[in-house]
Amino acid sequence: MNFDFILYLIINTLVVVAISPLFVSLIKKVKAWTQGRQGPSVFQTYFSLIKLLKKEVIYSPNSSWIMQVTPFVTMAAILVAALFVPLVFVPEPIGGIGNIILFLYLLVLARFFMALAGLDAGSSFGGMGSSREMSISSIIEPTTVIVFAALAFVFKTLNIFDMFVLTSGSGLPATPTLILIGISLFIILIVETSRIPVDNPETHLELTMIHEGMVLEQSGRNLALMELSAAVKMTVLMMLLINLMVPFGLATTLTLAGMLIAVIVLVVKGSILAGIIGLFESSMAKKRFFQLPSLFAMAFFFSTLIIIIEVFS
Amino acid sequence: MIVELFIPAIIVLLAGTIFPILTASLDRRSVRTISLSCTIVGSILLVSLSLLILLYGEPVYFTLFQPLPAFSLSFVIDRLAAFFLLIIAVVSSCVALYFTEYIEHIAGSNRRNLLCGCTNLFILAMVLVVASANTISFFLFWEVMAASSFFLVMYEYSQQNTAKAGIYYFVMTQLSSLFILLGIIILYLTTGSFDFLPLTTTASAPLITVAFLALFLGFSIKAGIIPFHKWLPYAHPASPSPVSALMSGVMLKIAVYGLVRFLLDVFTPDLWWGVLILAAGTASAVLGVIYALKEHDVKGMLAYSSIENIGIIFTGIGLSVIFTASNLPLLATLSLLGALFHSLNHAMFKSLLFLTAGSVVSATRTRNIEHMGGLAPRMPVTSALFFIGAVSIIALPPLNGFASELLIFISFISSVSVVDPLFKILLFICLSLFALTSALSAACFVKAFGSIFLALPRSPESAAAKEVPLTMLIGPGILAAACILLGVCALQIFATVGFTVPLPDMLLVSLLLLGMSVLTYVVLYFTASREVRVSETWGCGTLSQQASAEYSGHGFSEPLDIIFSAIYRTRTINERIFFDQKNCIFKEGTGEIRLLKVFEEYLYRPIAQQSLKVAEGVSRFQNGCLDTYLLYVFVTVIALIIFLGWFA
Repeated sequence: MNFDFILYLIINTLVVVAISPLFVSLIKKVKAWTQGRQGPSVFQTYFSLIKLLKKEVIYSPNSSWIMQVTPFVTMAAILVAALFVPLVFVPEPIGGIGNIILFLYLLVLARFFMALAGLDAGSSFGGMGSSREMSISSIIEPTTVIVFAALAFVFKTLNIFDMFVLTSGSGLPATPTLILIGISLFIILIVETSRIPVDNPETHLELTMIHEGMVLEQSGRNLALMELSAAVKMTVLMMLLINLMVPFGLATTLTLAGMLIAVIVLVVKGSILAGIIGLFESSMAKKRFFQLPSLFAMAFFFSTLIIIIEVFS
Repeated sequence: MIVELFIPAIIVLLAGTIFPILTASLDRRSVRTISLSCTIVGSILLVSLSLLILLYGEPVYFTLFQPLPAFSLSFVIDRLAAFFLLIIAVVSSCVALYFTEYIEHIAGSNRRNLLCGCTNLFILAMVLVVASANTISFFLFWEVMAASSFFLVMYEYSQQNTAKAGIYYFVMTQLSSLFILLGIIILYLTTGSFDFLPLTTTASAPLITVAFLALFLGFSIKAGIIPFHKWLPYAHPASPSPVSALMSGVMLKIAVYGLVRFLLDVFTPDLWWGVLILAAGTASAVLGVIYALKEHDVKGMLAYSSIENIGIIFTGIGLSVIFTASNLPLLATLSLLGALFHSLNHAMFKSLLFLTAGSVVSATRTRNIEHMGGLAPRMPVTSALFFIGAVSIIALPPLNGFASELLIFISFISSVSVVDPLFKILLFICLSLFALTSALSAACFVKAFGSIFLALPRSPESAAAKEVPLTMLIGPGILAAACILLGVCALQIFATVGFTVPLPDMLLVSLLLLGMSVLTYVVLYFTASREVRVSETWGCGTLSQQASAEYSGHGFSEPLDIIFSAIYRTRTINERIFFDQKNCIFKEGTGEIRLLKVFEEYLYRPIAQQSLKVAEGVSRFQNGCLDTYLLYVFVTVIALIIFLGWFA
């Protein structure tokens, strides 16, 4: 483990934690505008997190150790997963950090704890959230793995770092295969971050609640951790998509100027994608739960198409 | 050195078998403890032996007994055998440790001595199967293993379900032996030898294909590959939990060993053999986990999950065969390593899960997960151990299940750039199903852990459950430690035994995970409020929370039930009785929606009925009248004379 890599660990973690609440607020802002509202400030998510940190934690008398460790494990798993997606500069991968399958399974680790915490307090809302989350994540998984396999197939590597180095050398996404992969990755992003049409992140209604259902019993600093980890997860998946599609700006060497430019470019690109997500969410209604498999089938179709194109070209 | 360790281990296990049978009339704890201590001692000898061979050793060959020139009881311990000996020994010692206490809590007075003896015999037979140097002793000990495990399954013979489980198990296991015997005989006919030697003749290729198919069928039945899996979900709930742990953790792996041994040492496999194994593996993995989701008997659920994991192992073996046949030795080794490592890992976490499930069942006196709940605060250590098993089995980093599944994932993904186009499509389909399997098993174990350990207890027994004694925690504890060690140090372990695998450094990842957790904790400690309050779960204003309002296991899996409703075929049965003849005034009726046991009703029953019919036809020859039998003898003699006159 060399100096560059340790620096990378620190910078990447700081940047992702600092920046992700901004994107969450931006999406809310865009949605508010499309509805003709002013909407909360773009810094509202930061204020909410600070407010939550000041509040006490409330545990149910029925809950067990799962409830207490979940926020920390979730946060740690998501932060480690965030290390797999370079945000400002790409170091040499060390010890298999950046392996795309491991990245996926770190997200599953976080989800597993979250789902158990949903069941822990014995509330039927939490149970409903966990049940739906596990169902949806199970049926999206084949698509995710196929998309990742397609990525590995196109770039001839399993490592996200190497993929970014390859794309940043090439400039814009010239190939149609990458655009198709982008569509599938976008659907995965929507599903994994529980957004419309899969879930509605703004309500606590029984009809929609998946992610919100699971964290309903969390409070105080634990809730702040759950919210922040969800934001970080969204940012990481957004950056995975952006840096594969529109790779310019990512520094491949460690210079201060390069990194500053990278951070600015990152915020700009992230804001544009956040805007797109906000518009996408505003343009459609939440789908019925049991119609979701057809949406996933579409993503699966696109990714299989890429494979077939690549195989026979 | 190796022989000096092996012979004492065999003798100790044999002593552990014979001693409790000789003292069967004494219903004493000491008898059983001595017998099970023999298991532990024997296992420890075997562990050291197999580690020696795995790390440094050359294969060791020795003959114990040679009654005929063509037939001998000889043993060979090479690295493959040593690896499976390690699996047997580690699981057996932990199970035996757990069994010393568990056996005192079950019914059966002095029959329990026989249970100990039989367990030892079972372990001994498995050890000898793996160590066998020729097919005939392989088959001999295979039969001993089948018979002793049948007695173990039948331990609680007075219960109704056990009889059914026993019949299923007996028929299936004998069918498996028959196919294996057939394969061995065909191999003998082509080579003229009972040794595990590479086939050199290609002249009788169809015969060799038949031999492979027979052996594959035999091992698949024993391993529980769908559609030959039916005995597993019956036998496991019926037998005592430590026996299930041994059968699921170890015996299924012996079938895997058999398949791998024949594929590596005897056959030169064709491409389509690999496709067959891969297809069987993938189908078992997906269907196994889908059925596991629907199961509410905790041990039945674990049995289906074993089917799934055996499917994953077969997937790895199938890939390996495909790569061997396509001349890709590196990838073949990689996927075979994945399959073998998953065998080891499955042995660890599945026996861990069966043992902890046994503790839970003995504490709550029910196997239905709907009647459990709230056990995490009541049985904290057991819940933590079960949790480690669950995290391992659903392949979450950094535990061991992940390491082996990742190896298979990597060999899948890196294969696509090398094989020919049509195979790529096939491999991608299998890859997506493989991904589905691992995601569904996550849902399955969230449901299991949530229903068993979390929220409020849903029965009075569950509310009164107590933690099990320390001796019942040490065995599973060792297995849990093995799960963590094998996962975190996977890369280092492979390096120690001399393989370079493209795994990420899980030690680094674990350290990062730990570091991030500590960092989060420290940051929060200084920035956030530290106040904690305990208060009622929010229930829309209801005054007190009731267990009946919780999300049940059924409710949890309902969305997946609906999504996979094509696979869960149900039959609706309505019976109505009316007062009048025109069926207008309803008197009474029953309604039932029952899950169709597809394989049982469309495959097993028809075959069983056909064989009954044939048996009836044959039984007409047996009329018990002496004159008829004399006639048979006379006809046979005449037929023989004519036959000999014709051909000689």
